[in-house]
Amino acid sequence: MLVIKDLHAEVFGTPILKGLNLEVKAGEMHAIMGPNGAGKSTLSNVIAGRDGYEVTSGTIEYFGKDLTELEADERACEGIFLAFQYPVEIPGVSNMAMLKAAVNSIRKYNDEDEMSAGDFLKVIREKADLVEMKQEFLKRSVNEGFSGGEKKRNEILQMAMLEPKLALLDETDSGLDIDALKIVSDGVNALRSPDRAMVVVTHYQRLLDHIVPDFVHVLADGKIVKSGDKDLALKLEAEGYGWIEGLAEAS
Amino acid sequence: MIAADQVQSWLDNQPVSLTDSAPSWLFDIRENALAEFEEIGLPSIRDEQWRYTNLKALKNRSFSPSTQTTLSIDIGTTNFPRLVFVDGLVDQDRSTALTELGVYNLAAYLQESPEKLEQHFGKTLPNRRHGFTALNSAYAQDGFVVELDKGQQLAQTIEVVFVSQTPESVSHTRNLIIAPANSQCTIIERHIGQSGEIYLSNHITEIIAGDNAHVDHYKIQQGSDQSFHFGGVFIKQGRHSNVKNHNINLSGLLTRNDINSDLLGEGAHVEMNGLVLGKGHQHVDNHTEVNHAVPLCTSDEYYKTVLDEHARSVFRGRIIVAEDAQQTLADQQNNNLLLSKKAEADTKPQLEIYADDVKCSHGATVGQLDETSLFYLKSRGIDNESARGLLTFAFANEVVDRIQIDAIKQELTKIIAGELLSGIEEML
Repeated sequence: MLVIKDLHAEVFGTPILKGLNLEVKAGEMHAIMGPNGAGKSTLSNVIAGRDGYEVTSGTIEYFGKDLTELEADERACEGIFLAFQYPVEIPGVSNMAMLKAAVNSIRKYNDEDEMSAGDFLKVIREKADLVEMKQEFLKRSVNEGFSGGEKKRNEILQMAMLEPKLALLDETDSGLDIDALKIVSDGVNALRSPDRAMVVVTHYQRLLDHIVPDFVHVLADGKIVKSGDKDLALKLEAEGYGWIEGLAEAS
Repeated sequence: MIAADQVQSWLDNQPVSLTDSAPSWLFDIRENALAEFEEIGLPSIRDEQWRYTNLKALKNRSFSPSTQTTLSIDIGTTNFPRLVFVDGLVDQDRSTALTELGVYNLAAYLQESPEKLEQHFGKTLPNRRHGFTALNSAYAQDGFVVELDKGQQLAQTIEVVFVSQTPESVSHTRNLIIAPANSQCTIIERHIGQSGEIYLSNHITEIIAGDNAHVDHYKIQQGSDQSFHFGGVFIKQGRHSNVKNHNINLSGLLTRNDINSDLLGEGAHVEMNGLVLGKGHQHVDNHTEVNHAVPLCTSDEYYKTVLDEHARSVFRGRIIVAEDAQQTLADQQNNNLLLSKKAEADTKPQLEIYADDVKCSHGATVGQLDETSLFYLKSRGIDNESARGLLTFAFANEVVDRIQIDAIKQELTKIIAGELLSGIEEML
């Protein structure tokens, strides 16, 4: 699904990713861990196509297509979803309106008919239950006045509505208490499917107790310096990131 | 100033009948106003209050009053009882008979209650006024009058439509809302015109709100994209009165609004909401003035502007807190969104505070759409143009959200969505 080769990327002129390789297949759950400043969020923003995040060399292929040729909205229409570390508040646009515009925009891009208002309401209510979000939140402005946990649940709700092929979850656990973490993880797990890949970016292992990854990668200084299974996350939790820095320098 | 003789061509054409049948007090007002106009002329950019508003375009134009009062353009239907004015004169056939509710056209009211009119006419006008105000006093023939009884609650919202349909016409309309103690009313003014035509409308609404009176006043400007509009809303408020003015500017080549309120009784509250959607070479100039003359009054101003292409806007918000006006609460916000590099917004908060125990806050911003919000929407599959439209709509719609009448709110939301969300409004 996603093949990244020797990726170098800059954020507003500063080199952050320095030769990153990653392959993600359908149905897989990947966790990317690493110390602050390693480039974890940059990676998800580069894949999602954020302005100012520029690929300087290397390739990102998604279902065989060169992803860098597509605008952020086209990538989303092709099935890429980014759950933000800091979801944006958009006063004046209701959750419902944004999602309706998004769902229909994606459908239009893929030559599908628009979802009827009735169907849309039915689906969004079901999905809201999935993340235990009260119906009244659907009418409120996007993330405005939401608590940290509500914002993250809202990200998962959006993911559930847009049914991406590749979901990138950027520090989805940050700012969550235990109860909210459980709700968010349950939502994510419910969305796992053989056709869908997920990449979870996180600083801490605790999220991975709830969302069990197939692969764990350690990102340091703009490269993946070590890959393994879920046990690697436990090792990081026990030993910290200190030993990783040695690996980064050695590579 | 632009001397009176430079616009003489459109003064010469005023019908003489204007002053013929008027009672002597009105005759005097008109004579004095004309003399005032001869003296001050039209403002020029050398006047501080008109610095950004060039009236050169008016100088060599000829405007004359229209005698045509048969409506020739489609003004749509409404659920509200309404009065219709065509080129400044009432169109009785299109208007609902509302005299039982206390709603008249000015010419009829002058016949019916000349003493009452004399008592109120022109009493709210500011001391420092410009040539258009003087012209309005000199030439206004018609307009609407709402005269409530003490304690009268006008349950129905009244709609007044001002249509300018004759090319190169000038109309001067004068309106009065007289809301004595404990009365309440909601009035919507709509200003529309024959699309593409050049015309000038010069319009003043006076609002007198007695003790504990509630007046909700809407002014929706949707004139032709070639039209000139000069509008004044002058308000005087008694104790614990509550007046809301919603000033919505959606089109017109050059629009200038002066909106003033004198808070004269303790506990009075005024809310001034404004929205400008400008594009093309539109110029919209909004000047507000709140005069806190006595203690314990509150004022809340919320103006937003969206400018695209070459559009320009000016906002000046003057708040005066008199020495005695202790415990005043005044808030003023003016936020401007520029969608094009060629658009320009000038904003000028002007606070003059002579009392010491007051809370006055103000904020003015001029900016572009937030890149992070744009990326957020695009990352959900919404294309660039629609994402920009949604964010612009959200910015503008915050003014509409302050409207309490659902029917008006929905209609304005629809109009704004139509302007800003072309192609995706049906998705909302």
